[in-house]
Amino acid sequence: MPHLDAAYNLARWMTRNDHDAEDVVQEAFMRALKYFDGMKGSEARPWLLGIVRNTCYTWLEKNRPAEVVAMEDVDSVVIDAVSIATGAPTPEVILLQSANRKLVNQALEELPVGFREVIVMREIEDMSYKEIAAVAGIPMGTVMSRLSRARELLKAAIENRLKRAS
Amino acid sequence: MNQKTNGPDIEPSVARDATYYKAPESLRRRISESIAAEGREQARPVMWRWGGMAAAFAMVGLVSWNAAVYTARGDVEERLVDEIASAHVRSLMVEGRLNDVISTDQHTVKPWFQGKLDFAPVVTDFATAGFTLAGGRLDYLDGRAVAAVTYHHRLHNVNLFEWPAAGESAPELVTRKGYSFVRWKHGGLQYWVVSDAAGSELLRFAQLLSAS
Repeated sequence: MPHLDAAYNLARWMTRNDHDAEDVVQEAFMRALKYFDGMKGSEARPWLLGIVRNTCYTWLEKNRPAEVVAMEDVDSVVIDAVSIATGAPTPEVILLQSANRKLVNQALEELPVGFREVIVMREIEDMSYKEIAAVAGIPMGTVMSRLSRARELLKAAIENRLKRAS
Repeated sequence: MNQKTNGPDIEPSVARDATYYKAPESLRRRISESIAAEGREQARPVMWRWGGMAAAFAMVGLVSWNAAVYTARGDVEERLVDEIASAHVRSLMVEGRLNDVISTDQHTVKPWFQGKLDFAPVVTDFATAGFTLAGGRLDYLDGRAVAAVTYHHRLHNVNLFEWPAAGESAPELVTRKGYSFVRWKHGGLQYWVVSDAAGSELLRFAQLLSAS
């Protein structure tokens, strides 16, 4: 099944839960099968991930509306995200590589979903700006600015956690 | 607490440290099963589906019974195109669905169909002309079991469906939903070839097959 891992990874990061991610991906794949008008060879991945992303947002809006913040409200989001991310880290967070893993995973999980999704697509899924733009349905310029904002937020969150721990 | 004052040795990085969540095997199975169930749904007898459609129309009072039946009749060809497109997409989406017999050798693929169908499908490799035989499987179209012979054409997957039909007709190109379809009848068989490759390439394939 092509792109199932990519679909699941995106859904898992967006819903932050195994079970919900599975439901979302299942639903997205069935929808993809019905509305395959847009699918063409090399464009299959962004097309499919676009459906997964939409299904995630529909699911979030229904089940956890508080998590879906309009991206126009980014400035207020920035403050919130940093303050959330400074929550007390566990002491073992700062040890070795597994510590990094935990640190990064936690910081990324706490980013608002609109920032989290672009980081996941760019850094974890290694997608091009063009592909991300296609999936998220936003211009490439917006992808870049959102991504750089997301990186700043994540960096601040990680540094805060490190500071708190030391 | 003091041992941690310097933080981690390695700078944290999302690309290296964030978890890549791989799809669990159970999900893969679940989706395969749903897709297969959907396939069975679509393969139900035509009259049953039309009946359902007409009944639905009558129920909401949008269209009269006659109009619904008329629409259904006019859609026979469209429905077949839809069925074929779905069969093509399904074959690409489900791992292991594309081919039940995998071989570039027509003398392996052709005998595989023996005893599985009530006709002998045409299986020919055209690797030198750019259409490499990839394998075959059984599929279900137009209310009957059909042969699906698969080819690779550059980066494209090509499905060739064959089943018995009377008459002769020249290859004809249909384009729908980003896919190209070429259909023709020859020597007691009906052929449908479908791919996201260019329509002109599929017409060329039809000519190769008709001339073989």
